[in-house]
Amino acid sequence: METIISVRNLVNRFGSQVVHDGLCLDVGRDEILGLVGGSGSGKSVLMRSILGLQRPTSGTITVLGQQIKYHKPGPSRCWGVLFQSGALLSGLTVQENVELPIALYSDMPLETRHELASLKLLMTGLSLSVADKYPSELSGGMRKRVSLARALALEPKILFLDEPTAGLDPIAATEFDQLITYLHDNLDLTILMITHDVDSLFGICDRIAVLVDGGVVVGTMDEVLASDHPWIRSYFGVPRAQRARQAAGRRMYE
Amino acid sequence: MNEHLLSFESKPESLIVNVRGHWVFDEVLALEAATASVQPETGQSVTFQCAGLEDIDIAGAWVLYDRTEQLSMLGIKSEFIGFKAAHFKFLQNIIDAAAIRDYEEPTGTPARPKRLSRAVENIGSHSTAFIEDLGAIARSILEGVRSPSLLMVGETIKQVYHTGVQAIPVVVVITFLIGIVTAHQAAGQLGKFGATVLVVDLVSISITREMGVLLAAIMVAGRSGSAFAAALGVMKLNEEVDAMRVMGLNPNQMLVIPRILGLVIALPVLTVFADIAGIAGGALIAVGTMGISGLQFVERVAYSTDLTDFYVGLSKAPVFALLIAMVGTLRGMQVKSSAEELGLKTTMAVVQSIFMIIVADALFAVLFTRMGI
Repeated sequence: METIISVRNLVNRFGSQVVHDGLCLDVGRDEILGLVGGSGSGKSVLMRSILGLQRPTSGTITVLGQQIKYHKPGPSRCWGVLFQSGALLSGLTVQENVELPIALYSDMPLETRHELASLKLLMTGLSLSVADKYPSELSGGMRKRVSLARALALEPKILFLDEPTAGLDPIAATEFDQLITYLHDNLDLTILMITHDVDSLFGICDRIAVLVDGGVVVGTMDEVLASDHPWIRSYFGVPRAQRARQAAGRRMYE
Repeated sequence: MNEHLLSFESKPESLIVNVRGHWVFDEVLALEAATASVQPETGQSVTFQCAGLEDIDIAGAWVLYDRTEQLSMLGIKSEFIGFKAAHFKFLQNIIDAAAIRDYEEPTGTPARPKRLSRAVENIGSHSTAFIEDLGAIARSILEGVRSPSLLMVGETIKQVYHTGVQAIPVVVVITFLIGIVTAHQAAGQLGKFGATVLVVDLVSISITREMGVLLAAIMVAGRSGSAFAAALGVMKLNEEVDAMRVMGLNPNQMLVIPRILGLVIALPVLTVFADIAGIAGGALIAVGTMGISGLQFVERVAYSTDLTDFYVGLSKAPVFALLIAMVGTLRGMQVKSSAEELGLKTTMAVVQSIFMIIVADALFAVLFTRMGI
């Protein structure tokens, strides 16, 4: 398996609090890796470190063969990020938000840019009637879709998703999971996804990375479930996780 | 010229276009130029032979698709052959998306209101909102006076500290420097008449009556007016104000009144500091460069300036404070949805409060002249 993202001996320390202690993680091409962990286990810190938004105490991170440096332009052409609350630019319309990265990275004529942005909106399941609206006029789920369209604007190879289904109702969350799977299958994306939605974990992730004790336990769902780490056992032992597991099992038989 | 992307084989009934190379985002301009050169002769259909394609993404696939659409509008049929499955799915995405769009388009989107009509509408709704907010604040001031709560007292003291105590250094430095500048300029002009000693009169009267309070107010408008608008604006965006309302707290009483009260207390005190610093600045020039002794300076100040001048300046301070605090908090409370708006309202708060201070100062000048003070 070709490695797209490689994290080696990552240490993140805030004062006396050690978040990551020699963490190593590889993300392979075309996989959906789900990242879970308790509050304060450093899921967001790990993602921010990979994106170059946070200076790690030590360790090296390589994305697509390029070493990530803090606040230096990384391979930003090759990745798209869906932030938890969408992080759309509030002064721009939906259409302008999606066009912005295209305008930054290419000298396409206005019309082409417009067409490509509309296409991305349609692909994320949005109606073009939202194109002229401002982010504040949209619902939470729509904002996430627009943000996803913006993340896809530059034809990225890697997609980072920070709790994509948080705050969505179960119907919207299921639809969003389907959308992620669809985009993953059709656009050859590698996806790293922070999520607490056990349905997403069981339903769409190829592998799971669990952040525990400053390190990471990573493997397929079955491998992670076989772990006897107390936090992992209790995480997947709670009733809602059990139900999600059964539901995922049923879907597989169907 | 685009041979790395396209080549042609013309057959009697169809034009075969060999598509090859990298059809990706970065190449879109070249791709558009290349597809534009696909010009079948009359009676020919177009066949895109895509077996030689090395790489494709949505942008590249769209260019290809867009050309077939253009051709079909000219009544020319086109087809794709030899696509690898891994490449074709990109084209499939676009065909799917286009189907949704075609389905959607006839319904049309409601036209958005034109700029002018929206602007007119805004003027109306903004002015009613302004009057409403003003009324709400006035009412909570009344309520606050009737039943003062301990929370408000603490918050007010905090505001006095932030807007008053912390502003002392900058206000003192600014007015001291203005005192120096005034004295220096006056010395040059009054010296021509041999009336150098009148510099002291000019500095002490202008600082106490006008400059001290005006400079302090403008400084505070920049410091605290913007801070009020920004702080309340962010609280609105974070739904903190809504949280207060549902807990049964009146945000006007909790946030607006303490800021207004705090500033009304702080600005007069700042004005006193400003007056002293300004006169001290004048003294530095008078004693240092004009041969007036310290004792002479004090005597001259006492002779020319009486307490009325000082009170005239001081009496404006609470009014200016009220203007700054009202405009700042009102603008902050008007923030509704976006970060952009927050910046806009903060700017408005500062510009409008300074504008209103100067207008009020002019009115005061007329008033005091009429009163003969």
